[in-house]
Amino acid sequence: MTRIDDIATRLDEAAFSARAMAQIDPDGKLPLADAYEIQRRSVARRLARGERPVGIKMGFTSRAKMIQMGVDDVIWGRLTSGMQVDDGGTLDLSRFIHPRVEPELAFVLKRPLSGHVSPAQALAAVEAVAPALEIIDSRYQDFKFSLSDVIADNASSSGFVVGPWADPRTDLANLGMVMSFDGVDQELGSSAALLGHPLRALAAAARVAEEAGEPLPAGAIVMAGAATSAQWLRPGIHVQLEVERLGRVGFHVGA
Amino acid sequence: MSRSSFDGSALEQAAQRLRQAADSHHYIEPLRDSLPGLGIDDAYRIQRLNNDLRLQQGQRRVGHKIGLTSRVVQTQLGVDQPDFGALFDDMGFGPGEPVPWARLHQPKVEAEVAFVLGRDLDEARLGLVDVINAIDYALPAIEIVGSRIDQWNIRIADTIADNASSGAFVLGTTPRRLADLDLELCGMVMERRGEPVSVGVGRACLGNPLNAVLWLARRMAQLEQPLRAGDLVLSGALGPMVEVAPGDVIEARVSGLGSVRAVFDQAPDDNANPQENTQ
Repeated sequence: MTRIDDIATRLDEAAFSARAMAQIDPDGKLPLADAYEIQRRSVARRLARGERPVGIKMGFTSRAKMIQMGVDDVIWGRLTSGMQVDDGGTLDLSRFIHPRVEPELAFVLKRPLSGHVSPAQALAAVEAVAPALEIIDSRYQDFKFSLSDVIADNASSSGFVVGPWADPRTDLANLGMVMSFDGVDQELGSSAALLGHPLRALAAAARVAEEAGEPLPAGAIVMAGAATSAQWLRPGIHVQLEVERLGRVGFHVGA
Repeated sequence: MSRSSFDGSALEQAAQRLRQAADSHHYIEPLRDSLPGLGIDDAYRIQRLNNDLRLQQGQRRVGHKIGLTSRVVQTQLGVDQPDFGALFDDMGFGPGEPVPWARLHQPKVEAEVAFVLGRDLDEARLGLVDVINAIDYALPAIEIVGSRIDQWNIRIADTIADNASSGAFVLGTTPRRLADLDLELCGMVMERRGEPVSVGVGRACLGNPLNAVLWLARRMAQLEQPLRAGDLVLSGALGPMVEVAPGDVIEARVSGLGSVRAVFDQAPDDNANPQENTQ
């Protein structure tokens, strides 16, 4: 257990100091349960510093990404209050090692959610849906990691921006999504990339939350996974995501 | 159009080689190899030779397709403009109607918006408003592109000469009005066996599919072959193209437009009943 504590501490320090570290398990031999335990302890250090848990993020929600990583399930990470960036706000690049951004949808819950639920049951627990941007930042050198590496590293979570909340009782299956930098399109896609339907990603969140023994409470935010590839952030740019019917979200990157 | 760099027989030969490749399924080397320096205008002359021949053979031209409408594809081919090809009556298939594999050439599929015009676009100087006013309705479409050039080893002149790599198309059947659509942010997903194989959005097509239609309308007006009422226009892809195999069923959904399903026949070899050979 001391090894797990040691790795959790090193990952948290790498995130806190924005300095890259070597992979902890480059050959991917660590059991995934241990990797999630490292993640839990690493995030516990953030909470001990006064950050609050605010929800979870889903990763590997596209089939292409699962194939690339050689897995057949989603991964997840924990979101804390310290990761939240205001819609329209400015991101301080010095907090990150090599940040990238990807377009997502976010859900906020009005009722607790956990366990094996259908997409329709998951929707019944949703208060609202919003366009969202996730800033991912691997703590590993060169953004290279094995599956256990990235799980231990809180699924590369490092920042998120949530746009205006909208009524979730709209057809979410195939919303066009355009992420642009300074008005120039970077990534184009559809919410259909999220496991075929974003509510499947939400149902997956309910399942992993129960497996972790941490049911999602009312008010929790669920970042449903990336709809396209991630793009490197550059100093001074304005990042914007437009989502069909849901509107837009954006932030500035500090110089 | 610029003057041709080649004599008529060289262009006619190229047209003939494309026809033979289509008939025989023996795909050919890029035209740029046998006609070095083949330019865009000459490539359209080659396309026209084969399309005129089809008209002489009694086929009906039902509209046009627009190609090279995504920034990614334009960058790949090193061009900064789309291209167009002609659509003929026998290229169209109904949703769910098996598309004979033997009719296709190294096929790939793209999800697009199909526009049908309600009036001619024959003014001398056309604008976006003319296009919006002229469109009667839109349908979801799957375009089945093909190439008579071996391994799709194409540059812009190769694909233009080859009728913009057209092949076949499948249309949805519920007409929608422009007023009911967000053509710029409409999501697109193509699925095979329940898995998304291509996703995209209207913006991927020249920023808005209507930009593509305007480009085509202006181009055809310049060529004094203006788009006419009843013409079909395929906008160009809303997302990446995907290879297909015999027996595939591809469903495309475009937000606001509904869905359309392309069903591919088994290849002729797969259809042969092995027992027949033993009789």
